[in-house]
Amino acid sequence: MKFTVCIKQVPDVYAPLQIKNGELSMDTDRMVLNAYDASAVEEALVLTEQHGGDVEVVLIGPDKAKETIRKALAMGAAKGHHIHVEDTHGLDSAAYASILTAFFEKNPTEVIATGKQSQDTDSGLAGSMIAASLNLPYAANAVGLHIDGGSSLVVKRQGDTGQEMLALPIPCLVTCSNDMNNPRIPSLKGIMASKKKPVETHTLEDLGLSLATVRDSVKTSTISYQEMPAREAGKKLEGDAEELVSSLMNLLQNEAKVI
Amino acid sequence: MSAILVYISTTGGKIKRSSLEVLSHCRDQATKNNMELAAVVLDNDAAAFADQLQQYGARKVYTVSNPIFKSHLNAPVTQALLQIIEQVNPRVFACASTEGTKDVLGALAAKTGGAALPDVANFEVTADGVSALRPVMAAKILSQNTASGELVLVSVRSGSYDATESPTVADVTDVAFTPADFAAVLREVISSTGDKVDLSEATVVVAAGRGIKDEEGKKLIDDLAETLGAAVGASRAVVENGLFPATAQIGQTGKVVSPELYFAIGISGAVQHTAGMSNSKVIVAINKDGDAPIFQMASYGLVGDLYKILPLLTEEIRKAKSA
Ligand SMILES: Cc1cc2nc3c(=O)[nH]c(=O)nc-3n(C[C@H](O)[C@H](O)[C@H](O)COP(=O)(O)OP(=O)(O)OC[C@H]3O[C@@H](n4cnc5c(N)ncnc54)[C@H](O)[C@@H]3O)c2cc1C
Ligand SMILES: Nc1ncnc2c1ncn2[C@@H]1O[C@H](COP(=O)(O)O)[C@@H](O)[C@H]1O
Repeated sequence: MKFTVCIKQVPDVYAPLQIKNGELSMDTDRMVLNAYDASAVEEALVLTEQHGGDVEVVLIGPDKAKETIRKALAMGAAKGHHIHVEDTHGLDSAAYASILTAFFEKNPTEVIATGKQSQDTDSGLAGSMIAASLNLPYAANAVGLHIDGGSSLVVKRQGDTGQEMLALPIPCLVTCSNDMNNPRIPSLKGIMASKKKPVETHTLEDLGLSLATVRDSVKTSTISYQEMPAREAGKKLEGDAEELVSSLMNLLQNEAKVI
Repeated sequence: MSAILVYISTTGGKIKRSSLEVLSHCRDQATKNNMELAAVVLDNDAAAFADQLQQYGARKVYTVSNPIFKSHLNAPVTQALLQIIEQVNPRVFACASTEGTKDVLGALAAKTGGAALPDVANFEVTADGVSALRPVMAAKILSQNTASGELVLVSVRSGSYDATESPTVADVTDVAFTPADFAAVLREVISSTGDKVDLSEATVVVAAGRGIKDEEGKKLIDDLAETLGAAVGASRAVVENGLFPATAQIGQTGKVVSPELYFAIGISGAVQHTAGMSNSKVIVAINKDGDAPIFQMASYGLVGDLYKILPLLTEEIRKAKSA
């Protein structure tokens, strides 16, 4: 089975960040493979190792983001597609989804895998947008995948009160949770091998798009950033268990009045 | 008159509190902006919820009853909502952010050409669209976002607004719905058993982390939760090792909760966890490491061994409750 995994380069949420006059500044050197996408890559690798097939990855981003494609290749993906957009500033899930839709129209695959959400924005939209645009059956928030015969992908997805098992006929799309697996750390051998693996570059024009049409598909904009209102650090209690419990009971009953 | 359409989620024969929160907020927004408030509910027996929706001020109620809605499947939900959106032609479509709505929001946006603002902490209808605040970067900061266009779809984090009644009389329409042939087949629904209190709706949550090492520790959590009438939550660490079910996970990947009282027990307070609980009113943390980051946000932090503290605490609460 052929898997194509959509991978995004995102800022590391642990990198120091600063907000000045509503603008966010971050250390742009600290970019990582979106954790949810890493799980999607891992799962595709495991399934193709078991059942045969290929894993390719596709990323929209600037030249610098190629390092993230290399990371996925080092994990074991066979080929990378780099849709080159140098200035991605202001692009939202709808815009990325429109580019990826155009890409998949020209480069069909059997299973499209995406992350359930971008780790930096937690949007969680692009996957189901692509599926809807391509009229593909899909499942979101997958926590487990397996292949049933050659014609369907069985997805266990995490729902509100439990899990649902779905059989999706191929071709289909699935958005992956990081609760699915723990992505492998590329081995030295994998890293060496990744350097020889093909990365095909696509321009927006190759896909029948232009920066102007993509900008037109943007539906939302970020106006400014602000600090999260800080919680007041409350009372820290130390002592033996009896003391701790009696102080806490007193606070919950008489101060917070929640018990 | 332009409309706000609220998609109401139900669970176990009840409307989710988070849906009523969104409906209440949308009622205020509709009044402010001279818009009509409409609600749509999809359920095996959707008509049963019409009365309650009028209590919360919906002026138009669309009920779509079909056995297909007994369990969640994205295709029929999307099909039905597209049908209602076409009928109502709202400027704003709003819903509570749940796994069920997360599953369809992007598809609805793609199919309608609307703009989507997912998982917002608050929003306002503006002259040309919607303006909203969203937590980003693992909820370390807030981003102010706008969306314009003929239709804006928003999903709202639970606990962002109060659910308040404001009774009215609505036009109730039972909508005829014929599910299409869907490509995806639902094979099985695996409910997590033993969830006595629904986590996303609970007013008290007892959450366990890696400090809970074994079944004995799990029992301490269950006892405390039962005594409090609380829902049990968990960090990713103890979902991963199989001690707690995945439906209990709270945080960036899991659920967002905002109870009156939250117990973080043996949880260090990683940003990906706090992203899902920092809106809790009172936070009690129990951790043996006095430097654990959770103490920076705890209302009351107890530095000590949870295995010693929990049995005493449960006993004291039991006494207080029966007093
Ligand atoms: C993309 C992404 C998404 C994620 N999403 C989530 C999510 O949704 N939810 C989530 O929870 N995590 C999530 N995580 C994982 C998160 O980063 C942390 O790894 C996780 O929250 C840690 O769980 P913990 O606090 O239980 O464990 P630890 O960090 O190991 O903390 C255990 C704590 O227990 C204390 N302890 C141990 N023994 C005792 C004792 N006897 N008495 C008292 N205290 C004790 C220790 O001092 C320690 O502070 C995500 C990570 C990533 C990368
Ligand atoms: N620039 C991008 N390049 C490739 N895939 C992307 C890109 N942006 C988003 N995606 C995919 O879409 C998923 C959901 O993104 P989002 O809607 O931003 O939360 C991500 O996990 C990726 O799999």
